[in-house]
Amino acid sequence: MLELSLASYRYPGYAKTVLHDIELRLGDGEIVGLVGPNDAGKSTLCLVAAGLAPASIGGVLKGTLTLDGTPAGGLRTHELAERVVVGFQNPNTQRSGLAATVFEEIAVGPMNLGLEVPETVARTREAIARLRLEPLVERDPQRLSGGQAQLVAIASLLAMRPRHVILDEPTAQLDPEGTRLVGQALKALADDGTSLLIAEHKTDLLDGLCQRVVVIDGGTLVRDGPTTAVFEDPELEALGVEPPARIRLRRAAQAAGLDPRVLAGART
Amino acid sequence: MLAVLPAAVIAGVARRLIRVSFLLTLPIAISVVLVSVFTRAGETVLFEIGPFDATAEGVDFAAQTLVRLFAISTSIGLFGMTTDPRAFVLDLERRGLSPRFAFVALATLEAVPAMVERAQVIASAQRARGLDTEGSVAARLRGVLPLAGPVVLSSLTEVEERSLALEVRAFGRPGRRRLLWRLPDSTPQLLLRALLLGLLILAIALRLTGAFPVLP
Amino acid sequence: MIEIEDLVHVYDGATRAVDGVSLRIRDGERVAIVGQNGSGKSTLVRHLNGLLRPTEGRVLLDGVDAATRRVAQLAATVGLAFQDPDRQIFAGTVKAEVEFGPRNAGLRDAALAEAVAAALQATGLEGDTATKPYDLGYSRRKLLALASVLAMRTPVVVLDEPTTGQDARGVRRVEAIVRELGDAGRTVVSISHDMRFVADGFERVIVMRQGTVILDGSPAEVFAREHWPDLASTYLEPPLAARTGAALGLGSTPTDRSLIDALAGQR
Repeated sequence: MLELSLASYRYPGYAKTVLHDIELRLGDGEIVGLVGPNDAGKSTLCLVAAGLAPASIGGVLKGTLTLDGTPAGGLRTHELAERVVVGFQNPNTQRSGLAATVFEEIAVGPMNLGLEVPETVARTREAIARLRLEPLVERDPQRLSGGQAQLVAIASLLAMRPRHVILDEPTAQLDPEGTRLVGQALKALADDGTSLLIAEHKTDLLDGLCQRVVVIDGGTLVRDGPTTAVFEDPELEALGVEPPARIRLRRAAQAAGLDPRVLAGART
Repeated sequence: MLAVLPAAVIAGVARRLIRVSFLLTLPIAISVVLVSVFTRAGETVLFEIGPFDATAEGVDFAAQTLVRLFAISTSIGLFGMTTDPRAFVLDLERRGLSPRFAFVALATLEAVPAMVERAQVIASAQRARGLDTEGSVAARLRGVLPLAGPVVLSSLTEVEERSLALEVRAFGRPGRRRLLWRLPDSTPQLLLRALLLGLLILAIALRLTGAFPVLP
Repeated sequence: MIEIEDLVHVYDGATRAVDGVSLRIRDGERVAIVGQNGSGKSTLVRHLNGLLRPTEGRVLLDGVDAATRRVAQLAATVGLAFQDPDRQIFAGTVKAEVEFGPRNAGLRDAALAEAVAAALQATGLEGDTATKPYDLGYSRRKLLALASVLAMRTPVVVLDEPTTGQDARGVRRVEAIVRELGDAGRTVVSISHDMRFVADGFERVIVMRQGTVILDGSPAEVFAREHWPDLASTYLEPPLAARTGAALGLGSTPTDRSLIDALAGQR
């Protein structure tokens, strides 16, 4: 379990606190969506939950991050990496630049951990299998589409065998095909028992995937509950989040005085 | 030179190599020629320009230096053009180079094409806002900040995200790694290296014992 | 009027990014171009302001061949807002950044001030004239980049993925801007991956696949059931409203509004 308790964070050199008293729990195998307007602190929360803030970027963290019972405070970044990993939106910046093939790229993480070659190979194969990347193993990582590159980036993270995976807007820079690819891969991950925290604007994507959704606004978590309850919250739009299409349509129907059950009957 | 040029021809890079080496050594070559030809102490004066005498000894010295410069630049150039930097650096790491150093070396290499591409996108965006890159010199000078500014700024912003992505993959861990790959190294290559090393030692020895002509 | 005649663009002697496109875009039209990355959308629109020149074919702007003009000249007619604001922003203040474009287009004094003020108003940045661009969050920086192009007052405005990475408020703002541009009679061409943004805000949708146009019509036409196989062939999905309307036998209802109206009309 990943647990943030009364977490407040300030970037190095800045006086303003960007996160305020965050309480967040990510249970084993749970998939949680993180939504909110830009600049509300989604990315900062991802970095704090991964321990990289403050372990890598500095700054001041008040409160605690606990990873499976161990306080994250004393851990070095590579020790954190074996427990919790974070992926970013730009598939290009996550490429190590060291590998000639996708297989090698995914293997970079386990290699860095100093593992023996057979163990490295085993973990790499495992990550490839989980995301069904077999057709891509011999490809040059620099010559992949955005969606494929993002999948390789996620597989590279999985090869670290983390208990918790945090993804900060994984589909933000992808085209519809890329979004579909990553969405499918995330579903596959979900079935596996890995816990996931996914920050996204695309609420439709989260709708089919997450059990829980948290909403962040101005550095504070303002909602934390089951997906449908949060997405049906009438104040969601005021909080700067676009509800999923099906909920939007239902509301529009209700506003026009129509029975929304008509929509529910449509098989799309 | 005797070793470098045939090897370059075999590798298929001879023309490019000669052109690049020539361009690189040209600035130094010009100053070497000017300085040596006119200021070397010598007796045989070929011609005069004002207070400066061009001597045959000077020309001789300049010629030798130029050939040496060219030899150095072509050998380094040949190495650069025929070696896969990734394979090279990783092999060094296998032989003991620190993984961090290996990474920095490779990242620097990858940084250049990435920066070139970034600069092109930025140039397009600024041109789309009316920045004139095809006009007068003055117009192009005005374009320096709008072109260079975002290149530097966005590179810096990207560096932070890149380094976080690296930390997540345990690049920060001290100690050695067990590399997956191994550069194939055949016996003929090993023998050739041993031979070249031997020749080098021989050349140094000959030079020290005065058996080779030395520059005055 | 923009006329694209048999446009072909080949990269590196091998990749046919645009493979024979002919289009006519009338003044004041609001056109969305959709398709996967690599379908040729970005390549196509970069011919409109001369950043790319045709390998074959021509692009005419009000009868003038774009190839006969420099990019800096075309920038006064066709403004192009890029996807990544950070590949563009360089000035020390918001105001200076927005002034850059119109200044290059030759605007000065009162005209310049007016253009800048209007653009800042449209993007909600009027209170931030002295702010440093990087002190703005990503959403607002993207709006800043858009403002700097709007201020150039070009008759044609091209937007490259204006809503990508934007939050809900940012998307609303962009939608309002597109509406205002259309109302003012300016031509808008926008590349987008957001089918809802496209269906709601544009009167014409062009679907590209592998360098050619496979569909071209109003949102109702393009998202109609008979075209779903074509859309699926390029991994595009019609908006939920369209799929729901078709499933309920209500015809083509690409927007929430049209679906609700169709349902209400049934009563």
